Parts: sequence; C-alpha cells; structure tokens
Amino acid sequence: MGSLWSAIDARICTLGRFVTKNIEYTLRVLLMVYLSIKAAVLDQAQGFRTIINVILSQIYFTGWQALPLVSVMALATGSVVVLQSMANLSLLGGTQMIGNFLIVMIVREAGPLLVALVVIARSGTAVASEIGNMRANREIEALESMGINPLSFIVFPRVLGGVISVVCLAFYFNILSLIGGFFITKFLQDMPFSFYLDSLMRGFAKEDVLIFFAKNSFSGMIIFVVSCYQGLSVKKSPHEVPQVTTQAVVNSVIYVIVFNLTVTTLFYLNQLQNLGVV
Amino acid sequence: MSDQNRISKIETMKFEHLTFSHEGHSPLIRNADFEFPMNEVVWVKGIEGQGKSTLLQVLAGLLVPQSGFFYINDQNVLDMSFEEFLPYRLAIGYTFDYGGLISNRTIFDNLILPLAYHKLISMKEAKERVDSIIKKFEIEKFAHERPAHIPGRVRKLACLLRALVMQPQVLVMDDPSVGLGQDTLYTFVDYIHTMRKEGYAKHIFMSTYDEKYMSLFNYQIIHIDDGQLYLQTVDNDKKVVHL
Repeated sequence: MGSLWSAIDARICTLGRFVTKNIEYTLRVLLMVYLSIKAAVLDQAQGFRTIINVILSQIYFTGWQALPLVSVMALATGSVVVLQSMANLSLLGGTQMIGNFLIVMIVREAGPLLVALVVIARSGTAVASEIGNMRANREIEALESMGINPLSFIVFPRVLGGVISVVCLAFYFNILSLIGGFFITKFLQDMPFSFYLDSLMRGFAKEDVLIFFAKNSFSGMIIFVVSCYQGLSVKKSPHEVPQVTTQAVVNSVIYVIVFNLTVTTLFYLNQLQNLGVV
Repeated sequence: MSDQNRISKIETMKFEHLTFSHEGHSPLIRNADFEFPMNEVVWVKGIEGQGKSTLLQVLAGLLVPQSGFFYINDQNVLDMSFEEFLPYRLAIGYTFDYGGLISNRTIFDNLILPLAYHKLISMKEAKERVDSIIKKFEIEKFAHERPAHIPGRVRKLACLLRALVMQPQVLVMDDPSVGLGQDTLYTFVDYIHTMRKEGYAKHIFMSTYDEKYMSLFNYQIIHIDDGQLYLQTVDNDKKVVHL
C-alpha cells in the first residue's frame, strides 16, 4: 500500500514539475512579447524605417519563398478533400453541403495547421538558428553595446513580419486549395463550378473570418516568438544552436496545435450554446 | 536621436558592495567597493579566469550584477532600464576580444550602424567619418565585404573601430591587441592618442597580456584577484611599480 502511495506521489510530483515548467516557459515567452512591443514603441531612436527592411525581408523569406511549397500542399489537400467529400456526400445525398464541409475542413482546420507547420519547418528553424548564431557570435551583445535594444531591433520586426506572412500564406492556401482543388479533380467529377462556388458562398459565415484571423495571426505570433525566444536562450556556445532550433520546432508545434484545438473547442462550444444544446 | 540621450561628461565610476557571478558559478566579483581612476589609461590585470572580461562587461553595462551598486556620476545605473541607461551606453565604447560584428552586414555597415541608428550626426557626416577611419587603417578593399569574407585581422580591427567611430568618453577594450598585427597595432595606438588629445576616450579600461602593447601608453593598473579589485599606481616616467 505504501509503495502504491509513493508511486502516486512520484507521479503527481512529476506532473507538477511538468506543469510549473511549462507555465514558467509560457510566462517567460509572454514577457518577451511584452518587452519587445514596449521596446519597439518606446525606442525613440528606432523609426519605422529602421525596421521596415527587416520586416520586408522576413515577409520575403517566410511568405514569398514559401509559396511553392504552400501551393503544392494547398493543391494536394484541396484535391483530396474535394474529391473525398464529393464522393461521400453524393452517396449520402448531401452534395449541396459540400461548401459547408470544405469551409470547415480547409478554412477552419487544415489550412491554419498546415500553413503553421510549413512556416515552422522553414522559418521557425531559420529564425531560431539565426538568432542562436548571433548570440554565439556575440552579435546580440554587440547590439546592446551600441545602445540598440535587440528586442526592438531583432525580435519585434521578425514577429511582425512573421505574423503578416502567416496570415497571407493562409489566405493563399485557402483560395488555392478550394479553387485549385476543384479544377484539379475536374476530370474525376462532374459538378458545375457555379454550383460549387454557390455552395462555398453559402457555407461561408462571418465567424470564419474571425477564426481565420484568430488562428493564423496567433499561430504566426507563437511560431516567431517561440523561435526568437529559443534563439536568444543560447548562452555562448555554437553547439547549443541545433539544440535550441529543435526545441523551437517542438515547442512551436505543441503550442500551435494546443492553440488551434482550444479555438476550435471554444468555437464549437459557443455554437452548441447558441443552439441550446449546452 | 536628440541631445537628451547624450550625457555631457562621465566624471566618476564607482562600485559599492558589488557582486557578480555567472549562472551556476562562484562570484567573480565579490562585494567589491572600488572607485575607478578617471582620465587614465587603466590596465586591468589578473590571472586567467579571475574575471577581467567580466569586470569590463560590467563596466560597459553589458552584464548586470546580482547585488550592489554601480555609480556613474553618483547615479546608480543598475536600477536603470535599457532606455534610461542609453545616454551612458552611448558614452561608453566597448570592444570584444572575439566576435561581435554583425554577420549579415558589411564592414562599412557595421561601422556606421551605431551612428545611423541613433542619428548622432547627419548621414553625410557619418559616412565621412566612417570613410576616413577606413582610409586611415587602409581597409578600403574590405569595406563592402561581410565579416565572414575578410581576414581575421580586419575583423578584429573593425570591431575596435566600431567603438571608436562613436567617439566615446569611456573606452572599454577586452584584449584589443590580439590578432591585430604590428603595423595595425601602432596605427591603432596612434589613433587612440590622437583621440585623447581631441578630448575623446578620456577614460580607457583594457585587459591584455601584451606588455609591449601596454608600454605604448602611460597607464595605471587594476588587479582583479579573488573577486576584489586593487589599484596599483605606476610612475610612468620611470615605469617603476609602486604597490
């Protein structure tokens, strides 16, 4: 009996440590967001022109250069979802519901998650390793010694550029997968485009705009804030850079998935409440 | 940047009960009370691992001690935020023993960065100042190369010059002579003497093991030993050490 209690106690302690560690990590990351926004606003020396180049290059690397990969993923996802949903909805006699189904599947769920994964894989790793190397090469210290706040000069423009890129990529992903997916599968199905477009329009609600911006902008923020934080966590040695890069990917994926799941859950709970189910 | 971010004069620098340790290590500066000699070239000496670089980084405001006070002109700068400390920081030039150049910018861009960012002078003047210092040290052919593409000597020199273009009142240099080469070293020392005559870099703190290099200055010595600082005055006419 005693050993059972000690085993339970040990499990509770492990769980407690895990929870406190994650809460501490989240608070530290949020503190960095606050400080970087504060620094960017308060920094009298740093005009918008100083950081506009960094923002633009971040948009170029994260947004523009990701277009080929996002295009392939969008067309593949769109084709599969359009084809599968048409086939199954036809069997059930609910072809007119295809718009609702695709909006839920692509705009609300698959789009934000897949775009976030692409951005984590391409840009999250790049930002974490770039900042980690800057730390190891003492560039961050050098900026401080010159009176340049790294939070406003390095972190803020990357996060802002990253958020803009993720929102734009998600918009592109949605359009391409919904429209491109339809045309790619045209030779396998005979649905008129006007019927398909009409169904999409009927399925689209104003909540989708809210979900689109909430999921994508916060996912973008999570990815770049976590990546910057991990990069800055390098102490001195270059051997820490691959470690923090891996950690940036792992943490970003977990945070993005948890965030997306939370938004989806809250949205459906709200819908159920509106319907009077709960 | 407006003039409010420049302080007119740094007159005193003082530690009171100051303790600094790197995370997980024993303190390198332990409850130190010390008033730094001003208007001098100060040679920070100590055996390896005693905290010379750490002391210089604390002086430059790059490391924040765990406890105690660091007064500049009787103001405790440890209480200050990044923005509040900015005027002091702009009056203190710091050079690294290794690294420190921004790797995605050219040497010219590295040198002009602090001047352009803080708008200390007009862009035209900043370019002229950087061009003249690049010409003085004969590194024109590397000016538009990135740090990874230039010789180590030029990288080290660029790191030193970036602190000098700001014309600081206090110059903090960590091992400045390492990797410079004889001719460049003499030009560099000559440049510092010229700056001091013009009223800049009045207070210099540097650590080095290069006695030949230090013999080019009239200096005082600070010893760092077991977390404490000791001043050793030097009669520069006779170069005889009085403890």
